[in-house]
Amino acid sequence: MTTTQLPDRLIVDFDVYDQTLAMPEDVFQERAAALRAIGPVVYSKAHGGHWIVTRYEEIHQVLRDPETFSSYPNNLVNAGQGKFIPIELDPPEHTYYRQALQPLFSPKRMKELEPRIRDVINELIDDFAARGEAEFISEFAHELPTRVFLALMGWPLEDAEMFTTTTDVALQGVPGGTEEESATAREAAANQIFGYFGAIVAGVRSGEITSDTLTAQIINTPIEMGDGVRLLTDEELYRMFFLLLIAGLHTVQGSLAWAIIHLANNPGQRQEIVDDPDTVSAAVEEILRIEAAVIAGRRATRDVEIGGVTIREGDQLIVLLCSANRDGAEFEDPDELRVDRSPNRHLSFGAGPHRCIGSHLARIELKLAMEEIHKRLPDYRLVPEDPPILHATQVRGCIRLPITFTPAS
Amino acid sequence: MRTHAQNRAPSLRVDRSACAGHGLCYGAAPDIVDSDDQGYPVVVAESVPQERRDQLDALVEMCPERALSVEPPTRKG
Repeated sequence: MTTTQLPDRLIVDFDVYDQTLAMPEDVFQERAAALRAIGPVVYSKAHGGHWIVTRYEEIHQVLRDPETFSSYPNNLVNAGQGKFIPIELDPPEHTYYRQALQPLFSPKRMKELEPRIRDVINELIDDFAARGEAEFISEFAHELPTRVFLALMGWPLEDAEMFTTTTDVALQGVPGGTEEESATAREAAANQIFGYFGAIVAGVRSGEITSDTLTAQIINTPIEMGDGVRLLTDEELYRMFFLLLIAGLHTVQGSLAWAIIHLANNPGQRQEIVDDPDTVSAAVEEILRIEAAVIAGRRATRDVEIGGVTIREGDQLIVLLCSANRDGAEFEDPDELRVDRSPNRHLSFGAGPHRCIGSHLARIELKLAMEEIHKRLPDYRLVPEDPPILHATQVRGCIRLPITFTPAS
Repeated sequence: MRTHAQNRAPSLRVDRSACAGHGLCYGAAPDIVDSDDQGYPVVVAESVPQERRDQLDALVEMCPERALSVEPPTRKG
């Protein structure tokens, strides 16, 4: 990577995997704001060197131009021991997989899940409402997407802990460990989950597993490739299921936590939701905007000029979606939470061909959770002496979030 | 719901090459724009009464891909 002509001011000390970005206190957005102030595209020497795109316009441009910015590798670390499918494929190949998956996650199909999701939400709240306190992550934000997603895929809830552990390791490595330790752990985690999916795929193919789950539908859906129609191979399926698992379990957990944190810190905004449940849809978009979970990666396929710098063919980039969402050129008072913000063209689900395929499910989970929480526990508070614990990496999130509230039935 | 094409009524247009299926438009105005089974928007109101013009403009504004526009009134009707 050529950085010889790069002015010093554009070289920043920033590693998205550096846990001090989130611990002991989450300063990720402040650090991102500092990068954004330097320029739309800056450079970090971490992970062999990579560009960091910080502003809305340039991030949108990168996401919408897969010919120039390949989505492989999407991760600065080898999280999936190879490509995640379909996110790390480029069009036209990517399009075949995407078109096969998209109908399975369509807004109408996801809407049919609403009654079941609302039941799960209320079952979870029932378990702690009378206590007046809860650890919101383990008792709600982790459980909700896990239960919803595993039920949708038809994967046993008893295996939830294994799914959580393997995806945690894939994303975060070994917190506090060396890079080698993390790499070894990632490889072992990927092998474990690929072995697990192998048994599921074999079971569906042999007719031993007969339930009509999303998993079976994906396995049995013929895909129209450029050179004919075929089923996905076993390895393609493992790489797709692993991606769906990470996306399904982790991102909604983070957004639910950020909803509680930001609304507890903005009681006036919360009151608007409590007083008028019709505000929830717009409020969900604002929660999504104020803290986006994902930091996506791209690699330049040619020399290209963007944001005043020349990026060379083969250079790696990351785009900070959470930084695009706080760009004052796109959003008025971007650091302010406004539950009625309109328009709100946030990029939390990305943009362009790789835009989050699970967004319709995520929105439903967030909307119904916001409705029930503000109906049943409208005065939740953070616990000052036991503050939230967040984490950085390319999927930001929350590990622990103690809350108190007036006990409810 | 379909409304009849009328004189001097604008309609919504989707640029499918720009659309990435965010779904904000059909979430906000399902009687004007619905989703297909891939999650992309399909305009279902051939035209929209002039008094809902503000709503059309708001839809255009909310699209992160700038894929929506308002088609001026047509002469047919």
